[in-house]
Amino acid sequence: MQETDLHDLSDDADYAASIQQGSSSMMGSDSSKRSSPSEPEGAEVVYSKDNVTIHPTQFASERISGRLKLIKQGSSLFMTWIPYKGQNSAARLSEKDRSLYTIRAVPFTDVRSIRRHTPALGWQYIIVVLSSGLAYPPLYFYSGGVREFLATIKQHVFLVRSAEDANVFLVNDFQNPLQRTLSSLELPRVVSVASGPSTPSPVSDSPSNESSSISQVNGRQRLKVHDPARDISIQVLEKFSLVTRFARETTSQLFRESHSNGFGAFEKRYNNQSVEDFSHKASNDEEKTVDEIPVAPDPLEVDKLTLVWGKPRQPPLGSEEWATFLDNERRVMDSKALRKRIFYGGVEHKLRREVWAFLLGYHAYDSTYAEREYHRSIKKSEYETIKNQWQSISSEQARRFTKFRERKGLIDKDVVRTDRSLAFYDGDDNPNVNLLRDILLTYSFYNFDLGYCQGMSDLLSPILFVMKDESESFWCFVALMERLGPNFNRDQNGMHSQLFALSKLVELLDSPLHNYFKQNDCLNYFFCFRWVLIQFKREFEYEKTMRLWEVLWTHYLSEHLHLYVCVAILKRYRNKIMGEQMDFDTLLKFINELSGRVDLDAILRDAEALCICAGENGAACIPPGTPPSLPIDNGLLHFQQDDEVL
Amino acid sequence: MATTGNKNINAKLVLLGDVGAGKSSLVLRFVKGQFVEFQESTIGAAFFSQTLAVNDATVKFEIWDTAGQERYHSLAPMYYRGAAAAIIVYDISNQASFERAKKWVQELQAQGNPNMVMALAGNKADLLDARKVPAEATKVYAEENGLFFMETSAKTAANVNDIFYEIAKRLPRVQPAPNPSGMVLMDRPGERTASSSCCA
Ligand SMILES: Nc1nc2c(ncn2[C@@H]2O[C@H](COP(=O)(O)OP(=O)(O)O)[C@@H](O)[C@H]2O)c(=O)[nH]1
Ligand SMILES: [Mg+2]
Repeated sequence: MQETDLHDLSDDADYAASIQQGSSSMMGSDSSKRSSPSEPEGAEVVYSKDNVTIHPTQFASERISGRLKLIKQGSSLFMTWIPYKGQNSAARLSEKDRSLYTIRAVPFTDVRSIRRHTPALGWQYIIVVLSSGLAYPPLYFYSGGVREFLATIKQHVFLVRSAEDANVFLVNDFQNPLQRTLSSLELPRVVSVASGPSTPSPVSDSPSNESSSISQVNGRQRLKVHDPARDISIQVLEKFSLVTRFARETTSQLFRESHSNGFGAFEKRYNNQSVEDFSHKASNDEEKTVDEIPVAPDPLEVDKLTLVWGKPRQPPLGSEEWATFLDNERRVMDSKALRKRIFYGGVEHKLRREVWAFLLGYHAYDSTYAEREYHRSIKKSEYETIKNQWQSISSEQARRFTKFRERKGLIDKDVVRTDRSLAFYDGDDNPNVNLLRDILLTYSFYNFDLGYCQGMSDLLSPILFVMKDESESFWCFVALMERLGPNFNRDQNGMHSQLFALSKLVELLDSPLHNYFKQNDCLNYFFCFRWVLIQFKREFEYEKTMRLWEVLWTHYLSEHLHLYVCVAILKRYRNKIMGEQMDFDTLLKFINELSGRVDLDAILRDAEALCICAGENGAACIPPGTPPSLPIDNGLLHFQQDDEVL
Repeated sequence: MATTGNKNINAKLVLLGDVGAGKSSLVLRFVKGQFVEFQESTIGAAFFSQTLAVNDATVKFEIWDTAGQERYHSLAPMYYRGAAAAIIVYDISNQASFERAKKWVQELQAQGNPNMVMALAGNKADLLDARKVPAEATKVYAEENGLFFMETSAKTAANVNDIFYEIAKRLPRVQPAPNPSGMVLMDRPGERTASSSCCA
């Protein structure tokens, strides 16, 4: 799928302006660092690795590759990472960005720990955490070499593996064992060091920083927290927001809009019932809990950072407007504009059949009507061929084909309990239920390794409901599964990576809530499993689910908006969760019972605001290849796992 | 773990068994007294609680209902770890579900809490015509393995409350030491107040 130029804002005036502004303010601190040479004199390079890459955003075109080196000078060891010059002209990477991320000779005396990540899919990466608590963005080793990197460090500085986590390596850790335990427990902050000073201090009170557009417009008070590391990270967060690639224009506009009013958006919202059509029940719950147990306030609210809030939702795209997106051969002329439009309002139900095929990637946006008709007919016969593979299995054969029988049995059990309360699927011998079964069984032959897994029928049901046609539904489902397939992997890696990213996002966007989850052993975020596995299918009524899905599928703002939706819902109920001191069991029960009670439009606005707020720091929480991103093709087979039962 | 406070016991109970054996239906029957013909499949896990009066005590069950598919197997230990009781469910009209139940029994014997009260539920007992798993053989199996066995029907409610009741009776009780102040040590401060009465 072509997502590369999704957020290319280089032709956007506001973007250009903010970059300008950013560069003037950042040049200040940058130039003061010029004196620090990228390679100290008399130095010996003890390790050098090419194709070590950072992913400032989730878009492949915006990755920055460079060379990582370890340099020894006297008894000191330094690390540098210098991005390549003129690399990748397709990426509209400014010189600014490049120097922003450059790591110039950071001494290992400033390094606290290195965390190694070995995702099941994709490249190994490391996160270097400084003594200040700040961390550099993840460094991805495209050409391997993490082990060698660590081994080299070990030859020169004191490096020990953390007792708690075999993937954390502590540097110069001479503290007492208790201290050691505590510090290694601390997960590396997601907040990244913006420029590469050898110490993160210059970010602090430089006057140029004060003039940054964001601190100017929001004029907020800095949090009074007696944790210097946290203070610094907030400032870095601020600095980072300057170059936030996502919807810059929206950000500044929204900051301005809400600032003029003098109130935080949340206050404004809670005081304004016409804006807030949130169900009475839910808001009562929330009020009730406020006085029970004092709850750490939402940092975004305190910070007034949440001054950003989502745009009002628009009415769904209708036929007339849809026609304006098409040329005379019915190509979609500006897919980005279309996706943006759908992001803010969805589409009318009668258009879904046509539009979903584009959103899911079954049809190319630039295909003509005639080309699509042709494609459809080809695909139809292709579908029939695959379907025939299981249809031609005789009962004689099936008797000796346990795996087939089991798979079919599982599908049979699930289709009869999928959305049977809808007219479309109700009643005895409903032909649509049979279609669900045929499509799922055919899919399990199309993707035999993945097979059938509970939850898939939930994902197919709305697609069949919209597409009506068997073959069309099948191929749209295939397209969806290209992205969500890893949710159903046997080793659960797709789910783990999403829940992990979710925990990082909550840590970034609501650290008191994160700490609460941590103290209560809820950090596995398993209570969000159902949300993520089937894209909130069980959480909203059918129509709302379809609306949410088409919004998520636009991949406008982020491919991972669903994770921000999770954060938005959790934040809605944070006071209740913490105020009532919910433990894991109670929390899971509470979350399951939220089903049908969440106001989708309000949550989408919050999710949008959170996504904008988090900016690149948010994107950095989400490892590449995390579903629904397309899997990183690194030549590995993804579904090789032992197929014990099905 | 079952925890006692005076006469009030909290007990974590987990339901395990093959897809479609009727785990969710049994819980729904026990907790809400309902039966839904097309009970949705369970995604992830669901949590319920229900209190039963047994003799002069009350037992509050904290019930974990799990997804049965083999693919989600790796998540199961998260639920049965620390459970005081388990109901392993199979469908009497489905031999494969009985085989799967035996695997669960093995796994719990190997990995679970050694004092766990285990019950085997042969569910869908209303489907007599479709029976594939004979009750007699199962009884022998259950006795050999120290399981408590009952055939149940979530549909007709037969034996559903009974199986929970029997489990409650078998929970090991820590006899509370005489406590003049009337204070009871519990592992969760929030539950110091006596649980509400029974609805069985
Ligand atoms: N006849 C009959 N059907 C049942 C009984 N219990 C469950 N079912 C049906 O079996 C199917 C699967 O039940 P469910 O509780 O979802 O099973 P689970 O996957 O183990 O949770 C549903 O269609 C239920 O209606 C029962 O006791 N008798
Ligand atoms: Mg179930």
